[in-house]
Amino acid sequence: MSQDTSTATGAGPRSGASHRHDSQTDDIEVRALSRQFGEIRAVDDVSFTVKGGELTGFVGGNGAGKTTTMRMIMGVLSISAGDVLWRGRPITALDRRGFGYMPEERGLYPDQAVLDQLVYLGRLRGIGTAAAKASVTDHLERLGLAERAKDKVQTLSLGNQQRVQIIAALMGRPQALVLDEPFSGLDPQAVDSMADLLREHTSRGVPVLFSSHQLDLVERLCERLVVLSRGTVVAAGTADELRTQTVVRHRLVLSGDAGWVRDAPGIHTVDVDGGAVLLEVLDQGADHRLLSEALRRGDVLEFAPQRPSLSEIYREVTK
Amino acid sequence: MTTTVNRPDQPGHASRSNDAGRPWLIVAGREIVVRLTNKSFIVSTLVTLVFIAGFGGFSAWQSGRSSTTTVAVTGAAATQLVEQGSAAATKADDKVSIKPQAVADDAAAKAALTSGSADAWLHQQNDGWVLTAKDAPDSAVEAAIGAAVRTQALSTNAAAAGTTTAAIEKGTVLTTDRLDGQQDDSLFIKLASLAFSLLFFMAAILFGQQIAASVVEEKQSRLVEIIATAIPLRALLAGKVLGNSVIAFGQVVLYGAVGLVAVAFTDYSRLLPSLSAAVIWFVVFFAVGFFALACLYAVAGALASRTEDLQSTTAPMTMVLGVVYVVGFTVTGTALKVVSFIPIVSVVAMPGRILSGDAAWWEPVLALLVMAGFAAVTVLVGEKIYRRSLMQTRGKMSWREGLKSADA
Repeated sequence: MSQDTSTATGAGPRSGASHRHDSQTDDIEVRALSRQFGEIRAVDDVSFTVKGGELTGFVGGNGAGKTTTMRMIMGVLSISAGDVLWRGRPITALDRRGFGYMPEERGLYPDQAVLDQLVYLGRLRGIGTAAAKASVTDHLERLGLAERAKDKVQTLSLGNQQRVQIIAALMGRPQALVLDEPFSGLDPQAVDSMADLLREHTSRGVPVLFSSHQLDLVERLCERLVVLSRGTVVAAGTADELRTQTVVRHRLVLSGDAGWVRDAPGIHTVDVDGGAVLLEVLDQGADHRLLSEALRRGDVLEFAPQRPSLSEIYREVTK
Repeated sequence: MTTTVNRPDQPGHASRSNDAGRPWLIVAGREIVVRLTNKSFIVSTLVTLVFIAGFGGFSAWQSGRSSTTTVAVTGAAATQLVEQGSAAATKADDKVSIKPQAVADDAAAKAALTSGSADAWLHQQNDGWVLTAKDAPDSAVEAAIGAAVRTQALSTNAAAAGTTTAAIEKGTVLTTDRLDGQQDDSLFIKLASLAFSLLFFMAAILFGQQIAASVVEEKQSRLVEIIATAIPLRALLAGKVLGNSVIAFGQVVLYGAVGLVAVAFTDYSRLLPSLSAAVIWFVVFFAVGFFALACLYAVAGALASRTEDLQSTTAPMTMVLGVVYVVGFTVTGTALKVVSFIPIVSVVAMPGRILSGDAAWWEPVLALLVMAGFAAVTVLVGEKIYRRSLMQTRGKMSWREGLKSADA
């Protein structure tokens, strides 16, 4: 029903990319991934795709399994069951070497200078020294850290350490990005710079998966969402797709008392307050019958679908 | 958009450097640079070097100091005795010389002593000779003049008895000899063995702890997760062990070289050939032994989850090293022969045996091979535990758990 703009059909940032064969797309595909910690199943049969050129937000409460899933994608945690695919085939260590990864817990060598250790991390990823230096210098400038290049990491504020960590993941044209809470601890200005940077990567076709607690941010930035709850995917798709998946509520405001709506067929009444009702339409056509009945009884001041916010959807799917 | 956008990794791959296949070299390079630019490392190395060089310098200064003793005399007899003593003293040690200084009388001699223009005063009293100094006379001078006095008195007495000095002295001299034709250098060998023990103990503990600390630093900060996605953990371990081994090895070579140069300036310089051989063997043993230990220390770091855990996870190595240190300079005889083949202990024990000359040529070779085998085992087992425990983020692991656990 509603506008289906940025799904896999190739609209949005990936326009022009649809000629690619499916097995060639720069997608990270997670298939039936599970992870057992003793008795606890932290991640249970999780499947989703992070499409090349798209920002995918990974949402879920604490302990939902986001970090465990990301660690399995990056190969730092072994997989109990399931597969991680890259371009349609099982991912290899060499593939991951070209990925930019930001782990949940931040940490760098406290005693080493910012530039030196970023170049070191870049070289480990196989980026040449000169290329790494150029990329790091460029990123430091963009994140306002150019003057701190020679300072030891431990002399930086936490927010600035976070930026250095971001550069560690983003430098040297990674072929995919997996970022665990990249926005936490950033001031609004840094959030914007970070969002711009991520957009640059998606615009060259790179898939980006990032987890976040900040739902407004996810809604603003992401083409796609994967909602995780207690180790399973409870919702996945574009924000609009998620909206259509949840039952849409309508608000009806009448001139007279609206108590009779409680008994209307095919309608679930959520709340009645004088002439205002919040309701869910259960049967197709029930909304038309309801509106006719309302007009018969008097004036209808307002009848409109309530566009749910992402956090409402989130609460809905994770409850 | 063009098709190039669809292959975002291509420009990246084009710029991937040649050392992509040797990530352990990058890791080793970082370890070396970090260590070499560490102020406390530089300072402690310099202090140790100064200490070693100072030992040599002090010994050299001590033995190289030439002394001239002036002995005040009042008569021809005393002058002759001093001259005889001087000849004997200079023959024994060319840095000692004694010269007579004729003075007018006893009062003048005392005045010369008091003023310091003479160091001693040889004069006759009753029927003997007295050597008077301001305080205790120099022992070398006393011995030389004493010998001259005795020789002269003997020859006078012998002449009076109608015989010769040689006849009287016949059969009175005891000379010492050793079947092995060597001189008694046991004290020096003990000291050198102690130096080997101390050097190995200090270097192993110091560098071992540093390796463990750098491993846990990466683990605690989860930096290891970033590294693990970029390179195999095996390469990280190899680079770390290699980098630190190179530094430790370089340091011990430096110490050994300076130590040998220092010894060259001392009275023990005649021991240089055998000492050099022992030092070279020590350095070789050290390299292999340290490599094995470095690997174990890296595992100890991986077993810990915080820096605070290191003390308990490195305890086995600290204990072993403590035993090696003590054994290195206390065990003797057959026991020493046995322990000189036991890995790690052999680092200290075998060079000591080489120095004392009781090791056949094949013994250090065999001991080295045994230790190389041991090092290979620690590398293999260590790599396994390291890989398993490094990603284990929940609390400290014991060595037993590390061996048993499945991959994270």
